[in-house]
Amino acid sequence: MIYYIASIAVMLIGLYAVLVKKNLIKIVIGLSLMDAGTHLLLVAIGFIKGGTAPIFSEPGLTADAMVDPVPQALVLTAIVIGLAVTAVALALVIRIYAQHKTLDIRKISSLKW
Amino acid sequence: MDITGIPFFLAVSFGGAFLAYLMNFAHRFLRNAVVLLTVSASAALLFWLGDETFSMEMGGFVLTLGKTPYSLFFAGIVALLAVPTVLFSFTYMAKEERPAMYYLNLLITIAAMYGILFSLDLLSLFIFWEIMTWSSFLLTIHKGGNATKAGVKYFLYSAAGAYAILFSVVILYNMSGSLLIEDVARSFVLQNPLMQLMLAGTLLFGFSVKAGLMPMHGWAPDAYAESPAPFTALFSGALSKMGIFGMGMVLYQIFLQSPFSLPVRELLAWAGGITSALATLRAIQQTDAKRLLAYSSVAQLGYIVMGLALGTPLSMMAALFITLLHGVFKAMLFFAVGAVYFRTGLTDLNELRGLIRRMPVSFLTVLMAIISLANIPPLGGFVGKWLLYESLIQSDHYFLVIVAFFSSTASFLYVYRLIFSIFLGQEEKEFEHVKEVPFLTMQLPMLALAAVTFITGIFPGIVLAPISSALTYLGFPIQHDMWSMSMLFNEWGNRMNLLAMISVIGTVFLTGFTILYFYRMRRTRYVTTKDIHTSGEVPTENENLTYAINFYQPFERAAHPVLSKSIRAWIDWIGRSVSELGDFLRHIYTGDGQTYAWYVVLFLTFMLAAGSWIL
Amino acid sequence: MPELFPLSPVHYVAAPLLAAFLLPLVAKLSRSFIKILPGLTFLYVLYVSAVLYPQALQAPIIEQIAGWAPPLGINLYYGPMAGLFASLFSALGFIVWLYSLTQMKQEPLDRFYILLMMLVAGATGMVLTGDIFNLFVFMEITAISAYSLTAFLREDDKAEAGFKYILIGSLASAFVLLGIAILYSYTGTLNLADLALNMDKVPLSVRVIVFGLFLVGFGIEAEIFPLNGWAPDAYSAAPAPVSALFAGITVKAALYALARVTILLFPFAGSMALISILGLVTLVISELAALHQKNLFRMLAYSSMGQVGLAIAALGLFTAEGVYAALFAMINHAIVKGMLFLTVFAMAGGSATLDGLNGMGRKKPILSLLFTLGAFAIIGLPPFSGFWSKLSVLTAMGQTGNYAMIAIVLATTIVEAAYFLRATGRLYLSEGNPAEGKTPLSAIAALAVLAAGILWIGFFPGSIDETLTAGAQDLLDTAKYTEGVLKD
Repeated sequence: MIYYIASIAVMLIGLYAVLVKKNLIKIVIGLSLMDAGTHLLLVAIGFIKGGTAPIFSEPGLTADAMVDPVPQALVLTAIVIGLAVTAVALALVIRIYAQHKTLDIRKISSLKW
Repeated sequence: MDITGIPFFLAVSFGGAFLAYLMNFAHRFLRNAVVLLTVSASAALLFWLGDETFSMEMGGFVLTLGKTPYSLFFAGIVALLAVPTVLFSFTYMAKEERPAMYYLNLLITIAAMYGILFSLDLLSLFIFWEIMTWSSFLLTIHKGGNATKAGVKYFLYSAAGAYAILFSVVILYNMSGSLLIEDVARSFVLQNPLMQLMLAGTLLFGFSVKAGLMPMHGWAPDAYAESPAPFTALFSGALSKMGIFGMGMVLYQIFLQSPFSLPVRELLAWAGGITSALATLRAIQQTDAKRLLAYSSVAQLGYIVMGLALGTPLSMMAALFITLLHGVFKAMLFFAVGAVYFRTGLTDLNELRGLIRRMPVSFLTVLMAIISLANIPPLGGFVGKWLLYESLIQSDHYFLVIVAFFSSTASFLYVYRLIFSIFLGQEEKEFEHVKEVPFLTMQLPMLALAAVTFITGIFPGIVLAPISSALTYLGFPIQHDMWSMSMLFNEWGNRMNLLAMISVIGTVFLTGFTILYFYRMRRTRYVTTKDIHTSGEVPTENENLTYAINFYQPFERAAHPVLSKSIRAWIDWIGRSVSELGDFLRHIYTGDGQTYAWYVVLFLTFMLAAGSWIL
Repeated sequence: MPELFPLSPVHYVAAPLLAAFLLPLVAKLSRSFIKILPGLTFLYVLYVSAVLYPQALQAPIIEQIAGWAPPLGINLYYGPMAGLFASLFSALGFIVWLYSLTQMKQEPLDRFYILLMMLVAGATGMVLTGDIFNLFVFMEITAISAYSLTAFLREDDKAEAGFKYILIGSLASAFVLLGIAILYSYTGTLNLADLALNMDKVPLSVRVIVFGLFLVGFGIEAEIFPLNGWAPDAYSAAPAPVSALFAGITVKAALYALARVTILLFPFAGSMALISILGLVTLVISELAALHQKNLFRMLAYSSMGQVGLAIAALGLFTAEGVYAALFAMINHAIVKGMLFLTVFAMAGGSATLDGLNGMGRKKPILSLLFTLGAFAIIGLPPFSGFWSKLSVLTAMGQTGNYAMIAIVLATTIVEAAYFLRATGRLYLSEGNPAEGKTPLSAIAALAVLAAGILWIGFFPGSIDETLTAGAQDLLDTAKYTEGVLKD
């Protein structure tokens, strides 16, 4: 249970940063945190207390005793995606900074209405 | 393909449009030949049009085309005006830009009008209706500048009407499972009365927009004033009559059995009456010839609606008769004004004057047209208006008679202004070089239509015969001897006498007029500025001594209370409000990415809250 | 040939991805390959469509990846609807490539084409996949290439638009992933068909939450009203060929995902009505907001959102006619809006304003005619494709007795006509700015194909009737879908 709560908390912190912080980099960090929270949640879903790695490494090991491998596979993929998104976002932040000389999201609204 | 079939007919009409467009790249004579050939061929084909209907499936809907006596009458009007229109265009449009687009759209408009008339189901009617709307929109904006604005306005009004129609069509289709007007009519009577009222109301609204019935007439003055003159003739003469066609169809083929039919028709008759009165007053105010004619068209359409809505055989006859005649004489007027514009580049009544000797044929055209418009025998306008008065009296609409009579009389004011300002008064130096327009392409259409007003005035039977078969089709009990319905005819018992009577009046009038005309012509005294008493001062050559400016100032002062309120302003206000709403709404998109993120999160929260509340 | 090298729906995704990865290598050999390779790829994918789609109309093709049977393995479901979308996407990809050949001049071109192919591959993957996590992955592939393409041009506002898109798009991906995680924790499966059968394991309240998450997640990409803040910026900042793809591909893929997920996992009357209402709200607000746009691409963007709203409103009916109409509206929008974006770009350049159209009718008559055609088609005037799609939407609404919806759709059409015709009118003003340059043949060819599509559908709406009917049935018949996927 604690894992669930913790992962949700991480997500909410990320969401808070996205919604409230004005600095573009902090917003990107917020987005990453939201991703991280979701990843944590996924891993937590597959977690079994005292479970082993999902490899039939020794005889007698049943599937019940293993942690669910699927969420881990998902998380691996999701992390890669998250990385890509963060990279693109940061690249854009650099370009925005080069043009506007500011990282304040409120000042970057030339496209509107 | 069967050459008496409607598919062939429409193929010629539409195909000619595209052929003319392509021919434009070859040579303009070739293009003109194709254009003229297309309209004349479709006009000629009308006579041989077979009776069989034609169905095809399109997008899961069955479209049915066929002719009815009712549609044939309107198709006759279209053909009658289409040929002079294209003829008139040849010289008129020669100096304008993008002639290929003009002819393409003109021919598409004409073909679409035929399509509307020969639709036996509501969907094909709507399809051709919209084709007509967009092609006429493109024609209206042809000149650019202000025309663009006028065109968009025209389209938006039309769209409001067209979508009202489509709204009804979709619901009717859903109710009856068929689009055929007959089937729709059959299942229409089974609906509850309120539903009937709503459906017929939206349909009538939609068609009345095209007819320019108040309060939805706002597009007409601008669109008529800004479109190229030859097209304006067709626009006012034939295209706006499509609205009349549709209203007649709805009132007498679909809506007739409904308990609300009578009150709705009464209301429409009043709307027509009020339209004719108010539009006439507006027309008197105008200083631009085309705007004046535009308001005059609105007024005339008001009469037609009045007759159409009363629904007695006589009033219907009057309505259809005026429909034809208005088409003819309004086309003449627009042609003549177009001819003046062609030579002088002006339509402003305050600037034009004294063109009578420069452009006598145009003058004669205007004269004939306004005689017809003012319902003076022996020209055709008289017959129609007489029938209308008679039917109003017969059906005890005495108040409407007064309204109609008032506006007909008032229309003298504006037609006089029109002919006086343009043709009479002092000759101006700047118009010295003005010549009459070329005969074949510009005088001939005007004179031919003038002949039509003359012939219909003396032999109204030529027109009344197709009208009565149209009315029979709509279900009106028309006796074979239709002359007995009107006092106009039955006092003399049979048509020979009637003919004689009108011929006598006509001949006397015409000879008198001709003698007078040439007599006066010979004796025209050339006024020099010194002939006029000017308190010792000698006016300069270019000083204005005729009073065409502020022509009807006293009248305007008197009519001010009525005219200061504008229905158009109200409609414009609706448009502006929508536009402002749009301007307000786009500020939702603040440009701040974080705001958008808030929208997302709030929306999610709201959804989840609503979801849990429902559970 | 087929025995040696069997065609499979996998090629839809694999070919463009492979080409995208090969492109940098090929670019080393010859610069001209950069331009040719994407075209060949799209042509190949179109060929796959030509072979497979008729088969899919008979019976859906279900492809198991790496031989693992569902629910364990990932499968592709190539039914009539997915096939329709996949074919549409490849066709649009090809047309946009054809157009870009001469019209897209900004370097680095190799990266542009890599991203372009990834966008098409991702979107096609979204409609093909039968696995919800796979769906998420493809959505991210689409989204990341879309972010980058939005900011592709190095001018002022482009990065800003890209960042806004990333910001909102990341929220979407987080929500979708969260929804997937929750579903997985209850059902232990990720296969859509298997999930559909196991949804009763999920408590109702959780189902509502997950539906909310998916609605927001896919709704962001599908430009549903309060979630579409990024869209006008992205459309106006991206190079026009990309905007055409946004309107034609990314939105459609997201919409497909939303529809598929809703119908399979959340088939409540409430969720469907909600989608319908959201569609209408989107339609009304977008069209009104478009009224005052001076920037043409922004205007087209709002119009695009409105059109998608119309499709969503019809989709939300979830009747055979409704889905049919929604599909029709989407196809029509993909063609017409694509053409409008490309035409405007060819006519007035990347920062086209309304004033920029003044007097184009004389200088660029063909493009003006095409713009007029597009405007008429999008308004829904006969005899162009938009008329039939709008009519099918209206009749579908009529059949469910939603007369108020018909009235709203028609009223917004008037608004739509107002701003499109204002733009059209400007083309035929007599004064205007001097236009320079001739439009290259490849651009005209691309536009001509789209225009021909508009006219073809306009005159022969019956020709796509079978396709649309099959697509609608395919989406609505959930039992067939689950049985088909899980039969082995």
